[in-house]
Amino acid sequence: MKRSRIPLYTTLVCLLFFYLPIIILIVNSFNKSRFGSVWGGFSLRWYQKLMENRDVWFALKNTAIIAVSATIVSMVLGTLAAFALHRYRSRLQNAHYTLVYTPLVVPDILMGMSLLLLFVQVKVQLSLFTIFLAHVTFCISYVAMVVLARLQDFDFSVVEAARDLGASTRQVVTGVLLPLLAPGILAGGLLAFTLSIDDFVITFFVAGPGSTTLPIQIYSMIKHGSPPVINALSTILLAVTFVMVWLSQRLTEEKTTS
Amino acid sequence: MPSTMDTSIQIEGVTKRFGSFAAVDNVSASIARGEVFSLLGPSGCGKTTLLRMIAGFEQPDEGRILLDGEDITDLPPNRRKVNTIFQNYALFPHMTVRDNIGYGLKVAGRAGAEIRSEVDRMLDLIQMGDHAGKKPSQISGGQKQRVAIARALINKPRVLLLDEPLAALDLKLRQRMLIELDNIHDEVGITFLYVTHDQGEAMSLSDTIAVMNKGKIEQTGRPEQIYEAPRSSFVAAFIGDTNFFEGKVTAVLDDEYSRMTIEDLGEVLVFNDKRIQVGSPVHLSLRPEKFRISRESPPENGRTNRLEGVVEDIVYLGSHTRYWVNVKDYRIAVTQQHGRFLLDEKPVAWNDRVFVWWHADDGFMLEQYREDDEELLTSPGE
Amino acid sequence: MADRTSERKQEWLISAPSMVWLTVLFLAPTLLVFAISFRPSTPFGGVGEGWTLQTIRELANPNYPAIIWRTVWLSLATTVICLGLAVPCAYFMARARARWKPVLLMLVIIPFWTNFLIRIFAWKVLLHPEGLVKKLLLAVGLVEPRDILMYNENAVLLVLVYSYLSFAILPIYAAAEKFDFSLLEAAMDLGATRLRAFLQVFLPGISRGLITAALVVFIPALGSYVIPDLMGGPSGEMIGNKIAQRVFVDRNLPHASALAAVLTLAVVVPMVAVIFLQRQKKPARAKEAGG
Repeated sequence: MKRSRIPLYTTLVCLLFFYLPIIILIVNSFNKSRFGSVWGGFSLRWYQKLMENRDVWFALKNTAIIAVSATIVSMVLGTLAAFALHRYRSRLQNAHYTLVYTPLVVPDILMGMSLLLLFVQVKVQLSLFTIFLAHVTFCISYVAMVVLARLQDFDFSVVEAARDLGASTRQVVTGVLLPLLAPGILAGGLLAFTLSIDDFVITFFVAGPGSTTLPIQIYSMIKHGSPPVINALSTILLAVTFVMVWLSQRLTEEKTTS
Repeated sequence: MPSTMDTSIQIEGVTKRFGSFAAVDNVSASIARGEVFSLLGPSGCGKTTLLRMIAGFEQPDEGRILLDGEDITDLPPNRRKVNTIFQNYALFPHMTVRDNIGYGLKVAGRAGAEIRSEVDRMLDLIQMGDHAGKKPSQISGGQKQRVAIARALINKPRVLLLDEPLAALDLKLRQRMLIELDNIHDEVGITFLYVTHDQGEAMSLSDTIAVMNKGKIEQTGRPEQIYEAPRSSFVAAFIGDTNFFEGKVTAVLDDEYSRMTIEDLGEVLVFNDKRIQVGSPVHLSLRPEKFRISRESPPENGRTNRLEGVVEDIVYLGSHTRYWVNVKDYRIAVTQQHGRFLLDEKPVAWNDRVFVWWHADDGFMLEQYREDDEELLTSPGE
Repeated sequence: MADRTSERKQEWLISAPSMVWLTVLFLAPTLLVFAISFRPSTPFGGVGEGWTLQTIRELANPNYPAIIWRTVWLSLATTVICLGLAVPCAYFMARARARWKPVLLMLVIIPFWTNFLIRIFAWKVLLHPEGLVKKLLLAVGLVEPRDILMYNENAVLLVLVYSYLSFAILPIYAAAEKFDFSLLEAAMDLGATRLRAFLQVFLPGISRGLITAALVVFIPALGSYVIPDLMGGPSGEMIGNKIAQRVFVDRNLPHASALAAVLTLAVVVPMVAVIFLQRQKKPARAKEAGG
């Protein structure tokens, strides 16, 4: 039976579609010429310009503060939520599940809009803090889903074994469950971190003066700035993304080898 | 038994390679119309690949496959008049039992009313009329098996291909389904090509068995031929269990008997299963149940051979007991049915000095011997 | 009994943090959107006192039906194209050799993780009047020198597909990975052509993945804002742009809320239905696997 070649060709077309724009962007970040369609020779001048851009550094600092804090808080809340959802089957958990799942599919603009209204109504000044609150809100759900998926594959006989050997609940959690689930929790955290770094729409709604993040900075550069500098910035971010994906794959691979 | 002995499937020099590995290596075979033909062998021997080439899921690299004299090598699976029972049944999970069984007719564009009555007939045959509306996930393994059979048979294939159809069932159910398969075969009378690694299934169901090993057919024959007259050490060791002895012919007594010497064990009388001369090397296969064992010396008889040794291990297996007897560092496997006489005499016990003996006709000379095949023999538990 | 109440207490204890957080910062604000739709606006960009239906009436503004229609059709078209491309890709990935699977998966995941704005920007560069695509199409003679590739519906559709394709491939691949491919052989063995086996056996077999993929493409596409903003221009606007305009340009929060409320209803109702269906299927499946 000969296999159809349509799937192969579609996959190749999709991969080309995915990567061609990205590759051109990377190449152009090293292009001496200002115009993308002409190769003016290799140059790092756009990277140099980027380094001199103080707005970018300022935005990067804000992004880092928010990403780190939002990741830590959402990892704790998301892991707890996953435990509850896995362990109990009740009306409460049905409601809980809906509450955790819904933010995953609600369009960003709705979440941004509704949080803005909340902050305006309770008269909270828009700032880095409001961005942090917003980021934790959407990251919880992602962490919870990643950890929940891990829990579903988890062999709970090791918990019974630990209990059988005399471990207390606390010892089971700290000595057995958390270490074994650590890769899953870290993978969830990594996803939260990436989402936080990347988020533009929600942040745009709840950002106040002086709380520009990197995506907001990129957005305003796309609207008003110089394309080659954005190319350079994009290339750096792509490299970071690549490392992140590789790391998270490593974390998920551990599951299959152990 | 087949009514007409003409050929249903003809396999001519078929080879299939995956990379540099030949899964099926220049295999030829001929399957008679109406018979149950089994491909028997260990996993990885190429039997499933051969079946998949007949079904049309794989394309042979060399050779031809003929169905009723017509070359079907290049036909896609949907245009071959053969149907397959898959190992995991491959029932469509989103369709009911009824829709599964009727699928082939629906695809063939038959009218709804006709499909319904045909499916009803099949449901009767497999006694599943009450389950017609259920999904595959709601019925048991044995029932899935029957639905898979009905789904294949409804298309009136010329050959039914069965790929380890009982492997997923537990022992009791497997035995019941085996009888059912036999009954179904008697009823529909079409050719069955049965792929299995289980010698018991192959023995009880088949008219012909082809034993496969490493991509080749080692021997083809009726079940009793395969068991009693194995051509190679592989066949002897894979089907049932046996003991191998190596020696040289010392005297050819007549057309029927010779004497051979086995190192350390001395001279024994053997039946001439093949043409031999004085000095030819001989590999003898002796099945454990051909031996007798007792603490007293056996009655003298011109045709029996006798050895003396010590019982090393005894495993009680219900219907019979297996002994391992050490005779001058040979470990000989012996099985003994439990007869009434055991109640009267003192049973053979561990460390007893015993005699083992066999009739010269019960040893079998192998045409082909490979030392690796000794790995297939049952070893005593450590 | 004592055990049961402490069990119950423990359940509340570990459920509370996430539930409280999401109730205050997700559920409450969403309800607030509906409430504020019925509030009057103040000239200073705030929210007035009292209740009014004025804002809801303003939605009848003849501009809106065209924009809502465009939003729906662009989202539908994005979903259809993404699914159409994702199904063969997922099929190929699921049938690939074990050695290649992680590589292919990685190649699909990288765009998924890549910053959204960067991906849009990459297309902005390509479709630019001086960009590569324009030059190529000019060379082949498919466009006139005066044609503009950007700032229209097609550019929006292209970038929507580009942005959401990996979202569609991943759930369909997850479903295809679990699909028993011997079912396709069974169908062909029973006389089905390859196409028929694909349509009648493969697609129903990955239906869960298809539903998820449709959901994760269609819903965010409905709420798109950045893509039409950067690629669309006035002739490619979607509801998201209108919401943003009401917030950032006119500073009319009740009006923005009313638009957001309409969008929320369109999104949440089908989604909750799907969640409940999936949640209820799960225990049944677990039972089957156990027995």
